[in-house]
Amino acid sequence: MTNILDDYALMSPLRRRNNWLKLAIVLFGLLAGVSATSPIPPIFIAFCMSFATVALGRAPLKLYFKLLLAPMGFAITGVLIIAFFSGSGPELLSFEFLGYPLSVRIDGFELALLVFARSISGMCCLYFLALTTPMIELFAVLKASRLPESFIELSMLIYRYIFVFLDMALSIRYAQTVRLGYSSFSRSLRSLGMLGSTLFVRSWEQGDKLFLAMNSRCYDGKMTLFEVKRPVGAPELLLTSAYFLLTLALLYLTKNASIV
Amino acid sequence: MIILETRGLKYTYPDGTVAVQDINIEIKKGKKVAFVGQNGSGKSTLFLLLNGTLKPNQGEVLFHGFPFKYDSKSLRDIRKSVGIVFQNSDDQIFAPTVYQDVAFGPANLGYSKERVDTCAQQALEYVGLSRLKDKPPHHLSGGQKKRVAIAGIMAMEPEVIILDEPLSNLDPVGADEIMDLLNEFNQFGSTIIISTHDVDLAYRWSDYVFLLSNSKVIGQGTPADVFKDPELLKKTGLRQPTTLEIYHEIERRGLAYGGNSPKTIPELVNTLKPLDLMWVDVPPRVREGDNLNLGVMYGQYATQSPYEAINATVLHIHPDGRAIVELKRKGIKAGGVLIYDTDSYSLPEIKQILKEGEIVFVGAMGKKSKILAERDGVRLDVSSGVIDKSILMALCGKRCLILTAGGMVDHAFNRIKEYVETSGIEFTVGVANREEGCQWLEETEDIPETLKI
Repeated sequence: MTNILDDYALMSPLRRRNNWLKLAIVLFGLLAGVSATSPIPPIFIAFCMSFATVALGRAPLKLYFKLLLAPMGFAITGVLIIAFFSGSGPELLSFEFLGYPLSVRIDGFELALLVFARSISGMCCLYFLALTTPMIELFAVLKASRLPESFIELSMLIYRYIFVFLDMALSIRYAQTVRLGYSSFSRSLRSLGMLGSTLFVRSWEQGDKLFLAMNSRCYDGKMTLFEVKRPVGAPELLLTSAYFLLTLALLYLTKNASIV
Repeated sequence: MIILETRGLKYTYPDGTVAVQDINIEIKKGKKVAFVGQNGSGKSTLFLLLNGTLKPNQGEVLFHGFPFKYDSKSLRDIRKSVGIVFQNSDDQIFAPTVYQDVAFGPANLGYSKERVDTCAQQALEYVGLSRLKDKPPHHLSGGQKKRVAIAGIMAMEPEVIILDEPLSNLDPVGADEIMDLLNEFNQFGSTIIISTHDVDLAYRWSDYVFLLSNSKVIGQGTPADVFKDPELLKKTGLRQPTTLEIYHEIERRGLAYGGNSPKTIPELVNTLKPLDLMWVDVPPRVREGDNLNLGVMYGQYATQSPYEAINATVLHIHPDGRAIVELKRKGIKAGGVLIYDTDSYSLPEIKQILKEGEIVFVGAMGKKSKILAERDGVRLDVSSGVIDKSILMALCGKRCLILTAGGMVDHAFNRIKEYVETSGIEFTVGVANREEGCQWLEETEDIPETLKI
C-alpha cells in the first residue's frame, strides 16, 4: 500500500473544517511571509503553521520533518551561496578555502537569513494545506471559483482513476520484478517501457468501461457535485484572527529591525 | 408476471465473435434468477443487452411486455428500471467519494436535491456504509467497494437488479453479507438476476436457473431440476453442486432417503436415514414387521432433541422374548429459532429474552444488526450462514435467537418455516417483538413418560 500526502489529509481532523478558512490562512501566510523585511515574522508563521499541521491536524511529526527536509536542502544551498557571494559592509567571518578568500558580510548574511526564513514559511504554509485538505474537499472550492464544469468533472474522474492506475502500475511492476524484469539497467528500461505501454492501453480500455458505467446509470452529460456545508466555528475564527493580528503586529514591529 | 423477456436475441461483436445467439428467456417478477456458465459463455454480454447498453443484431428484449426502444428517452427509463452492477467494482465507481458515487444515479434522474440526498443516504444505510460516505473509494476494501456499487444501483430504486459475478474476489463473510443484502432486496419485491460459475451458489440461492454454454441457453428450470441432470452439466462444463454430490453418494450407499434434492446442510441432514437399532422387551403377541409405539423418551435415549416420541419397527424376535427394533424418532420438544427485529431494538428486552428463553445460540444477519450487537456487547455465536446454522442448532434441541432487521426478518422466518414444513421436524419459530408474541415462553411442558427397556 502506498502512502501519499492525500491519505494523511483524508485522516486529518482539520479535514472537516471550512475549506475557505484554510485557504485564507495559507494565502495570508504566503503573502505575509514574502512581504516581511525581517526573518522574524516568516519564522513565526512557519512555527504557527507547523504547530497547526502537527498538533491540530495530527500529521505524524516524523513524516512532517522528512517532508521539510527536501525543500530545506535546496534552501540551504541557495542561502549559503547568497551569504558568501553577496552583500557589502563589515565582514562577519572570513577564511581561505584552497587559496580563495571567502567571507560573509553582514548584508549578505541578513539577506540569506531572510531568504531562508521566507522559503521555510512558504513551505510550511503549503504543507499545512496539503496535509489537512484532501483533493476531494477542493473540488467544491474549484466549483465555487467558477472554473468550467467540464474541467471540474474531468479532474474528479482523473482523481479517482489516478489511484486505480497507481494500483495497476504497482502490480504490473511487481509482476515484472518477480520475473527479474529489473535485474539490469537495460532490462529495467525495457520493463519500464512495457509498463508504460500496458498502462496506456489499459487506460484506453478503462475509458470505454467508464463510459459504459456512467451510461448505465443514466448519465446525461452532467455530473452533480454535492457540496458539504462546513460552517466556521467561533474557536476557529478566534484562533485565526489572533494569528493574523499577531503576524501583522510582528510585521509592523520588525519593519526596520535587524538581527545582527 | 413476466418482467423481462427476450425473443430470438443475437449479438455479434464488431470483430465477428458471436457473443449470444438464439436467446429466448422469460424472467418472472420477484424471482431470484441465476445465469450459470463458464467464463466466456456470454453471460456478461447478455446482461448488457438486458439493460439496453448493447443493441441486439437480431431479436428483441421486452420489459413488462413492451419491446425496448433505443431512443435516449426510452433507454433512460429502461436503465432506471433495470440496474446493473459490474463484476469489477473499480469499473463502476468513478466519483471521488462514496457519497458522490451513490448520489450520481438519482441526480441523473433529475430528482430534487433533497430527494437525491434521501435516496443516497437510504441506500448507504442499507448496505451499512453510512460511516464511510466521505471516504475516497481507494480507501475501501473489496467487499466495501462491492457494497458501494450495489448502493449506487439501489439508490435509483430499480425493479430489476442485475449483478455480474457478485461474489468474485470476496472473502466468505463479505460474500455472505452481499447475499444477505440481495435476499433482502428480493424480499421487498425486487427481481434479482446474477451470473455466476459457482454452481453451489446458484443451486442454493436461486429460484430459477439458466444454463449458458457457447453463447446459447442450453437448459433452464428450478435449480433442483437443472442440477439433477449430469449430462446437461457435462455439456455446460460445470460440476454438480457439492451438497447434491454428497447426497447422491450417501443415497447410493443406502444411508439417505431417496428422491430428494437437498439445497442446504440442514436439508441434507434431514435426508439421512438413521439406522437406529435397539434391543427391546416385547409383548408375546408381537410379530416381526409390526410397529410399536415406544412412547416418549428423554435423557440419554433421546439423541436429537430433549424429548422424542419414538416408534419402532420390529426386525427380529429372539426366542427369549427380546426383539431387535429399528427406531423412528420424532422430536416433540426440539429447540426453536426466535427472530428479533432490530428495527425496534431495546437492549433490556434482548437481555430478558436471552435469559427467559433459555437461549444458547445467538446470530446476527445484516450489517445493521451486527453493528448493534457489537456496540452493546451482545455475544454473537455466528455471523455468516446464520439461518442454516440456527436450524442445525434447533435440530439438536438448542434454542437460537437471530437478530435481524427489515426484509430479512420475513426472509429468515419463511426459510425456517419452510424447513419445518418440508422436513416434518417440529420446532418452534417465531418473531419475538411482533404482535403474535413469543410462542415458547408460554408453551406448556409435556410430562414425559419413562420407558422400560
